[in-house]
Amino acid sequence: MKFCVCIKQVPDVTAPIQIRAGELSMDAGRVVLNAYDASAVEEALVLTADNDGEVDVVLIGPERATETIRKALAMGADRGAHLVVPEDTELDSAAVSQLLAGHFKDYSYDVILTGKQAQDTDAGLAGGMLAERLGLPYATNAVGLAIEGDQLVVTRQGDTGQEIIVLPTPCLVTCSNDMNNPRIPSLKGVMGAKKKPVDSAPVAEIPEASVRVLGYEPLHTREPGRFIEGEPAEQVAELVNVLELS
Amino acid sequence: MSTILASVAVQNGSPSRASLEVLSRARQIADGQGATCAAVVLSPDASAVADELARYGAQKVYTVSDPIFARHINTPVLTALEAVIAEAQPSIVVFPSSEGVKDVLGALAVRTGAAVLPDVASVEMKDGGVEALRPVMAAKFMARTRAEGDLVLVSVRAGSYEAVEAPTEAAVEEIVFSFDEATLRQTLREVVGSTAGTVDLSDAQVVVAAGRGVKDEAGKQLVEELADVLGAAIGSSRAVVESGMFPATAQIGQTGKVVSPDLYIGVGISGAIQHVAGMSNSRIIVAINTNPDAPIFDVATYGIVGDLYKVLPILIEEIKKVKAVAA
Repeated sequence: MKFCVCIKQVPDVTAPIQIRAGELSMDAGRVVLNAYDASAVEEALVLTADNDGEVDVVLIGPERATETIRKALAMGADRGAHLVVPEDTELDSAAVSQLLAGHFKDYSYDVILTGKQAQDTDAGLAGGMLAERLGLPYATNAVGLAIEGDQLVVTRQGDTGQEIIVLPTPCLVTCSNDMNNPRIPSLKGVMGAKKKPVDSAPVAEIPEASVRVLGYEPLHTREPGRFIEGEPAEQVAELVNVLELS
Repeated sequence: MSTILASVAVQNGSPSRASLEVLSRARQIADGQGATCAAVVLSPDASAVADELARYGAQKVYTVSDPIFARHINTPVLTALEAVIAEAQPSIVVFPSSEGVKDVLGALAVRTGAAVLPDVASVEMKDGGVEALRPVMAAKFMARTRAEGDLVLVSVRAGSYEAVEAPTEAAVEEIVFSFDEATLRQTLREVVGSTAGTVDLSDAQVVVAAGRGVKDEAGKQLVEELADVLGAAIGSSRAVVESGMFPATAQIGQTGKVVSPDLYIGVGISGAIQHVAGMSNSRIIVAINTNPDAPIFDVATYGIVGDLYKVLPILIEEIKKVKAVAA
């Protein structure tokens, strides 16, 4: 099967980040492959290793985001496509899905994978939007994938349990990071990635965003609490008392 | 007159608490705008909850009754919501932010040409647009976001608003819906580990959550016993889901469920920011952890520095005693 994984370069959310005058301030150099997308790449690699096939990746981002495509290629993906936008271009989920839908008009894949959300915005919309634009059946929040003949069996984490969904191909699936532990690229992988093809083309027209970020604010903090001291029996007696459990 | 539409999920025959929360918020926004507050229910027997929705302020209830809604499948949900939106012509649709809603929100936005504000902690009308605060950057910050357009879809995190009764009379309109299952391109083979019928985590009034400090079967049993004597739902951190000790449906956090019970008891949970993002709306937070520097104590109402294997057996016995006296 032919897979294409939509990937995104995101700020490293584990790095120190501050708010200055409503804007986020962080080390611009600390960027990573979105963790959910990394799981999607890993899953595509595992499935194609067992069943034959190819794994392409596509990314929308500024020039410097090429390094994130190289990361996916170092993991083992075969080819990359880079839709280049100017630095600091604001794209909402609708715009991202519109650009990706344009990209997929020129290609044919059995399965399109995306991360279930991006670590920076946590919106989780682009996958479903892309499926709808392409008219593909889809499933979100997958924690497991398997190939059965020419169908894809998705284990989806739903509200009340794990839903086992069978999708025909072509289809689209958004992946949870609970699906697997993405491989760390080997040195050989990193070296090999440099020779793999990356098609890079500037985005002709940036779609206008219908959703804008006005600014950032700190989280609302809770009223400070207190420790309950003493031996376990004393702590429990006091806790039962303050909680008025009786 | 414009309409603010609340999407309602039915669980065990009743509207979920998170649904009543968004309905209450829809009512407040509608009152502020001089708009109609309406609700939409997709369920095998949707009209059965209409009275309950009127009690929480729905002046109009759109029902779509079909057996297919007994289990979540995205295509029929999309088709039904698209039909209801075409009929109701709302300016805003508010949803409880569940996995079922996350599954359809993006596709529905494309179908209806709507702008979307997903997974918000607050939402309001401002200067003709819709503004919301959303946790971003792994829940380290809130982003103030603004959407404009004739239709805006908003999903609201559980516990962001209170469910408040506002009794009114509701006009019920059944939307004609026929879905040919033969046209479905996906099939739902089965639902594994279904927790239907038990205390739902998102709806629970009391939650006992287990973390890495729960090391073995004995610790798990203590957590289960504590939950049992409190009538609580069991939640967990990501670590003990990954280790296989607790099911994925129990995971609380930015990538799991958002809970907002009256009482949350974190047992052996360090309180990583991703977990706290899923429980910080709880009314009272009790943390039991051996490490006095664990970040969970920063959000706890009451903190107990101690070994759960020593504290829990005493706590369980004490609660049993007070419950026995109360009975």
